[in-house]
Amino acid sequence: MELLKLLSANEIVAQVISFLILLILLRVFVWKRILGLLDKRKERIILEFKKIEEANKQIEELKAEYNLKISDIDQLAKQKIQDSLMQAKLILEEARKSGHLAAQEILDGAKANIKFELAKAKDELKNEIIDLTIKATENIIQEKLTEDGDRKLINDFLEGVDKLE
Amino acid sequence: MHQESQHELPNLVSFLADKVGLTTHLGAQIYLWENVIFSLIIVVIISLIAYFGTRKASMIPGRLQNAIEVVVGTLDDFICGILGPKGRSFTPFIGTLFIYIIFMNLSGIVPFMKSPSASWSTTLALALCVFVYVQYSAFKELGFLGYFDHMMGRPRGILAVSVFIPIMMFLLHIVSELVRPISLSLRLRSNIWGDEMLLSVLSGFGLPGIPLIIFSTLLAILAAVVQAVVFSLLTTIYLALVLTHEEEAV
Repeated sequence: MELLKLLSANEIVAQVISFLILLILLRVFVWKRILGLLDKRKERIILEFKKIEEANKQIEELKAEYNLKISDIDQLAKQKIQDSLMQAKLILEEARKSGHLAAQEILDGAKANIKFELAKAKDELKNEIIDLTIKATENIIQEKLTEDGDRKLINDFLEGVDKLE
Repeated sequence: MHQESQHELPNLVSFLADKVGLTTHLGAQIYLWENVIFSLIIVVIISLIAYFGTRKASMIPGRLQNAIEVVVGTLDDFICGILGPKGRSFTPFIGTLFIYIIFMNLSGIVPFMKSPSASWSTTLALALCVFVYVQYSAFKELGFLGYFDHMMGRPRGILAVSVFIPIMMFLLHIVSELVRPISLSLRLRSNIWGDEMLLSVLSGFGLPGIPLIIFSTLLAILAAVVQAVVFSLLTTIYLALVLTHEEEAV
């Protein structure tokens, strides 16, 4: 009972009211604002972490893609070099073939020329021999023959020479 | 209202009451409402800190906002650590209680101030708030029948055990619920009152240049913090006890 003398109903009520006032004020100024802010910050941090993770994933993917592309580029370069070598070989082969053809053509032309020149020379030689023979024969036999008869004789002689060749 | 002041250090209100004259009606009233006046001063101080610390609340906090965030975050973690995720809804009540009590306890160390929590009326008022809040939360969480079912305890056995023991448990729970505000308020009041007495008695002792009050002040700070934590922790535990338990939820 002595202890109860320490209590005062008025003070209890006043203290309850002052606590309730503080509770309301802090609910408005602190708890709602700060807890909301802390939650928002937490969410933002989580979001940022997620973004970082996603960015890391993207970097990894890009890295893998990059490595793949590099290996592709290497293969492509090798392929291109191979193709170029093949092409060069083909061009070389073609050049060689066309060179051979041109040489053959030149050779054939030269052979034809030679043949032609040879035939021409033969004809000239024939004519010269004919002329010489006619003159020589005229001188030796002192006999005037007709030109056609001379020619026939000489031609026969020359054909005989040709056959001997 | 003010029966336990014989050994207290003088404070602002007692000076004012003396100035006005204790024999006058106003002086007597001031002296009588001393604890309430100090409580209101503390309410104003806390509100001002809260207002100036949060009026320009932003994602990148200033010093005061940062300090408030640390306190709020720590209290929220502490309460949610005991009550689980639903503890968030109880954070404002328990957090306010903690801040209010720690300010009241520590105000006794400030020269010309007094701990309102050294008065049983103050601590009983807070304990009654806790009692009402806990019962309200229990009714809200469990429902009317669920509350009584919870009060009858678990497990329930066969026939006699299923009737007799639950009734006994119910009565026991009622008594324990009613005793809690008294134990809660007396514990806080007695500790802080003891600190006040110690400070008052030791203020006149000590070696020249080293007053003994320095050591007892450190002790008083420790006691002020511990008592605020104990009061808040017990409130949290009372809430945890009346909220749905896992075995009841199944």
